[in-house]
Amino acid sequence: MAGPGPGKALPVRRRRRRSQWRGLLYIAPAMALVIVFFVMPVLFTGWMSLHNWPLLGSPRWIGFNNYFRMANDARFVSALRFTTYYTVIVTIAIFAVAFPLAIFVEKHRRFVGAYRTIIFLPVVVGLASASLLWVWLANVDSGFIGPALKALGLVEKSPNLLATFDSAFFTIIVMVVWKIAGFTMIILLTGLQAIPPELTEAARIDGADRWQRFRYLTLPLMRRTIALALIISVTGSILAFDQFYIMTSGGPQNRMISVVYYIFNQSFVSFNLGYGAALSIALLAILVIISVMQLRLLRIGEDRP
Amino acid sequence: MIKRLLAATSIITLCLASGASAAEKIEMWVRSGIGESFKKVVEAYNASHENQVAMTEVPFSELVQKYATAIAGGQAPDALSLDLIYTPAFAAAGQLEDLTDWANALPYFNSLSPSHVKLGTYQDRVYGLPVSVETSIFAWNKDLYKKAGLDPEKAPTSWEEIEANAEKIRALGDDIYGFYFSGGGCGGCMIFTFTPLVWGSGADILSADGKTATLDTPEMRKAVDIYRSMVKKDLVPASAASDNGVNFLTFTNGKIGQQSIGAFAIGTLVTENPDINFGVTLIPGVNGGTSSFAGGDNFVITKGTKKIEAVKEFLEYTYSMDGQKVMAKYGSLPTRGDIADKVLEGLDPRMQVGIKAIEVAKTPYTLQFNDLINSANGPWASFTNAAIYGDDVDGAFSNAQSEMQSIIDTGQ
Repeated sequence: MAGPGPGKALPVRRRRRRSQWRGLLYIAPAMALVIVFFVMPVLFTGWMSLHNWPLLGSPRWIGFNNYFRMANDARFVSALRFTTYYTVIVTIAIFAVAFPLAIFVEKHRRFVGAYRTIIFLPVVVGLASASLLWVWLANVDSGFIGPALKALGLVEKSPNLLATFDSAFFTIIVMVVWKIAGFTMIILLTGLQAIPPELTEAARIDGADRWQRFRYLTLPLMRRTIALALIISVTGSILAFDQFYIMTSGGPQNRMISVVYYIFNQSFVSFNLGYGAALSIALLAILVIISVMQLRLLRIGEDRP
Repeated sequence: MIKRLLAATSIITLCLASGASAAEKIEMWVRSGIGESFKKVVEAYNASHENQVAMTEVPFSELVQKYATAIAGGQAPDALSLDLIYTPAFAAAGQLEDLTDWANALPYFNSLSPSHVKLGTYQDRVYGLPVSVETSIFAWNKDLYKKAGLDPEKAPTSWEEIEANAEKIRALGDDIYGFYFSGGGCGGCMIFTFTPLVWGSGADILSADGKTATLDTPEMRKAVDIYRSMVKKDLVPASAASDNGVNFLTFTNGKIGQQSIGAFAIGTLVTENPDINFGVTLIPGVNGGTSSFAGGDNFVITKGTKKIEAVKEFLEYTYSMDGQKVMAKYGSLPTRGDIADKVLEGLDPRMQVGIKAIEVAKTPYTLQFNDLINSANGPWASFTNAAIYGDDVDGAFSNAQSEMQSIIDTGQ
């Protein structure tokens, strides 16, 4: 192509500029939503975090004191530790259940639609309702699990599942897996179905056994899907609140206080909205770092075609 | 001139008349779990007055934060039946109407429940007045006593006796238990029913000025041991370990031999569970003596409400003989000492024990009651669960002691 003369360049640039404006116009509604419901609240939270902001009374500027306080806050550290512990355990548990389920419902077999529906059903129950349901299931006298164990003769006395840390934590993990695994399964299923059958066919002809096909074909091709499921699961677990608030009220002995629970307590029980805001900003930073790390580790975004 | 005067007076009369005839609708909140008495007095008031009270019941564990957020959002009710221990905190925050002059003008002001008025007073101004009085007392099921071969009319006077009785009652069968308490980290339940064990014997969990936590005393150790021993001997239902206060009135199911409950529960038992044959007495201390927690609600008015006259009219009604009688029938003790005897005339004689408890009762005065005691995640709530159900009693004491002290210190 011959070099464009100065007279010709102008309309091209103008056209490009006009189309950029048009593009901006198209995304304006989405931008407006993000600005009003995300950017502005975050900025306001940041502003609040620099104040001693009681729920009642007037706020007072204290600079970064809330952040200094956080560094020496043993209860915040233990909330972080518990949240990490919970996130690791529950994410492993969800994937350990959801992956086999996804492989199970991917194949065309009889009643597969019914299986998918049944496994997905708990997802449409609200987390709060599910927690309440399980509070009843775990009730020592009038519930289901304890009395059922007793009726089967497995235990001598109906156990109070929510009374000790280990059994209460286990109950909550089972509840969350029951509730969430269906959703993760659907995400993983879409990934599985996106793998062209010719590839599997070819690998089989080349003599790859089942495990090799899974390890060297399915897993690498599902990297993006797994990343999506992982980020959703990890983010959701770090933000966990309802199940601890409803099922154990943070107990036994305050050992189930997640970070969000701690923020809630600081803001609305102790009325330190400013400190709660500072904690929220810290949590936001932690979440951003973790999500970026996950994307890096799974090398998403580098292999764009 | 005369014409103008006439016009002015007629306008004034018109204003007065319309002011009196326009019925006001008062928005009022009350916490759940204090029985029927307040509901009934509102019903009685609405039936006999032009002004109407619209009452909203709020879960007791969430009332404080709901009220505080409502004030911050400009949606607060006109008045509130507020757990009396929170009055200092809200008065200090400048959110309550100053009632001093009106209160002093009440002819019976000096005979209103003193601990309520004390907690309703902040820097010598009155912000809260008693609406309901409740004390903690010890109740036993007479039918179960009889079945267990105990004297149903003899009130236990020491914890050794209570434990021995509990063992005999437990022997009656599978689902009959000797004792009950809400042990799943219910700070409010335990300050109400468990601290009288140490108060009765002269110890306390906070120093008199409220600035030092004094949790670790020989009396508290002994009280914890008594409860631990009853749990270990299986005299308490397993569900108690995770009861965060929802099942505080388990005694009403008739399968619990003994429990420390509130005077409100006497009204509930008499009116709603008449088949339960029970006796009440004062809660014994671990080393003798008796004590009780004087609780209940204060009546507070949100600052800036436009319906203050109507609210005052309602409060004066609850202090009238009619109002006091309705409340007492459903278990709230009389707030007016001068007519208490007349109010209780003809009512269940067991209510008298609740009145007697006022004399030995205590109420902690601290601006941080919610953080220290009542919050489900506060040090007191977790202490009661850890010390009674946990494996490490010493650790429970030292953790709670230091956490309480640090909350007190950061609040100064």
